[in-house]
Amino acid sequence: MSGLSIGNVKKSFGAVDVIHGVDVEIADGEFAILVGPSGCGKSTLLRMIAGLEDITGGQIRINGRVVNDLQPKDRDIAMVFQNYALYSQMTASQNMGFALELAGAKRPEIDKKVGEAAAILGLQPLLDRKPAQLSGGQRQRVAMGRAIVRDPKVFLFDEPLSNLDAKLRVKMRAEIKALHQRLKTTIVYVTHDQIEAMTMADKIVVLHGGRVEQIGSPLELYDKPRNIFVAGFLGSPAMNFLEGTIEDAANPVLAMTSGSRVKLSRAPANSVNRPLTLGIRPEDIAFGGESGVDAVVKVIEPTGSETHVAVEIDGKELTWVVRERVELAPEQRVKLSFETSKVHFFDQQTQQRLDA
Amino acid sequence: MTAMPTNHAAVHLEVQLSSIKRDPVLIGLWIALVAVALVWVAPFVFIVFTSLKTPAAVTSTGAFVPPTELAFENYSAAWSRGNFANSFLNSVIITVIKVPLGLFLSAMAAYALAKIRLKITKALLLLVVFGTMIPFQVMLAPLFTLVNSFGLIDTYPGVILPYIAFGVPYQVFILHGFFRGIPKELSEAALIDGANHFTIFRRIFLPVCLPVLAALLILDFVSTWNEFAMALVLLQDQRMWTLPLGLMSFQGQFSSNYGQLNAAIVMTVLPATIVYLIFQRYFVSGLTSGAVKG
Ligand SMILES: Nc1ncnc2c1ncn2[C@@H]1O[C@H](COP(=O)(O)OP(=O)(O)OP(=O)(O)O)[C@@H](O)[C@H]1O
Ligand SMILES: [Mg+2]
Repeated sequence: MSGLSIGNVKKSFGAVDVIHGVDVEIADGEFAILVGPSGCGKSTLLRMIAGLEDITGGQIRINGRVVNDLQPKDRDIAMVFQNYALYSQMTASQNMGFALELAGAKRPEIDKKVGEAAAILGLQPLLDRKPAQLSGGQRQRVAMGRAIVRDPKVFLFDEPLSNLDAKLRVKMRAEIKALHQRLKTTIVYVTHDQIEAMTMADKIVVLHGGRVEQIGSPLELYDKPRNIFVAGFLGSPAMNFLEGTIEDAANPVLAMTSGSRVKLSRAPANSVNRPLTLGIRPEDIAFGGESGVDAVVKVIEPTGSETHVAVEIDGKELTWVVRERVELAPEQRVKLSFETSKVHFFDQQTQQRLDA
Repeated sequence: MTAMPTNHAAVHLEVQLSSIKRDPVLIGLWIALVAVALVWVAPFVFIVFTSLKTPAAVTSTGAFVPPTELAFENYSAAWSRGNFANSFLNSVIITVIKVPLGLFLSAMAAYALAKIRLKITKALLLLVVFGTMIPFQVMLAPLFTLVNSFGLIDTYPGVILPYIAFGVPYQVFILHGFFRGIPKELSEAALIDGANHFTIFRRIFLPVCLPVLAALLILDFVSTWNEFAMALVLLQDQRMWTLPLGLMSFQGQFSSNYGQLNAAIVMTVLPATIVYLIFQRYFVSGLTSGAVKG
């Protein structure tokens, strides 16, 4: 049974096409995250689900019911906005009970549901405060409380954490995930932060320029990115890319355009003499022996748990993550090897993944 | 090393000096402010003093000399002889209906123009802005013809409707700007919570824009209460006259009795002053508290 189904949905603002036919199936109770660079249409898609934007083409179903022409309040959804959008002249509890009040619920029922939501979110001591008397994190919690009280089929979040400081963001991330595990309500969550996507989602939908690039679980997308865009978008620091060709499939070596040669353990089918892009994650690079690739250390950034090193191979900059403590100096020459079982191959022309 | 203490002392001295020395610009501003205030208050003092003087005292004492014996009978005499009971009632009826009704209509129109997207929204807004540019004096003659053809000369609706028509555009213009500044997520959140536009308007927008409404209410009350030209054209019957019109006839009738004339003026101005004093604290506190934040 599908919680939310988006079928070939399109959106144009006047003559400008913003969403070009998106298909996504989100199962009941799933935590789905829409992620992509700024302007790719994440918010627009979410607002179409909420009913705040007209749907130009295609169908959106919630719980099996087509909602294209339903009013937002009839769609069985609740939304949490980036700027909280709390009603400033109402107290926290009035904010949370507003929907029930409009639906004609009785006072005791409203108080009971608001009380329950407040208990879940630890808001009891703050219920009589106005939004101006709350901190950013507390406001965000009230906004979530307002959504929980309605007990919707689907929660919609639009970058709810981007106004919070880094530490609070990590805390709220865990809280939202815990909330989902407790309520088991379908969530569609928009963010441009790939770490949020990786840490919270059951399913990630990568959007780019109004199109879906790939849908899958965080680790699926991380381990098997379908194309160069997804490969470069997920992961921090980002994946490194090298361009070159393989001349001999039996004894695969990537001959880089600039001259260096990287020994590989495998090659994708039909890849001989075809322009390839090789992707390697920063943590899959290691010190190599005599057969390693020549590299020059440029910048060293220790983070404590690991060290990010910018190195240059034939004038091309790569990021290398070292977990151990190492003594490195700028302009030092090192030999590096790639974890060959973990390299990714992409066709340079189509940008698509080539499986070895 | 020895230079250090003297240095310190010099710095210290300078700090003290600058706190003693007042900013000359500030002093200039204060002087200007006092001068302007005096200019504005002078006529008011003159009116109040004169209204309390006997006819003999008016001619024998200077304009700004306080009255020695208070002639309160000027007020009662002016009230009855100027037919104030009648014109006061007319002014109250017209103002009390026109001001809230006009403001409510303006607020609703401004909400619609700011928050409901339609193809003709821009054209409508342009029309409203155009309305603020027409001086009503230009319209007096056509207005008379129009109201006359409706048979509304010498009626309350005959004044209230034109008043509303001329008041709405600038109020819509101001409120529209204010509503536009309210984040759209606020109305969207309410929309999802199940509110219709009227509920959003009443429960979300009106409370937020209370300070602006208070300001507009004061301005509108004062200008409606004191309106003269349009009332003069549209109200021919003495029994329908408003206070400013009553005042005009007063001057001809009692030109020798300045005490009574000024008592009449004080009574005319007083209600507007009271309304201002009641609402000005909402107005000022709203302006300083940043109503939209949070
Ligand atoms: N009302 C509108 N009229 C015209 N174009 C719009 C409108 N709203 C959004 N767009 C365009 O649609 C595209 C997608 O916008 P959207 O807000 O969905 O991006 P986003 O993925 O949420 O980006 P961000 O991460 O910056 O929030 C953008 O190019 C934007 O300029
Ligand atoms: Mg967005």
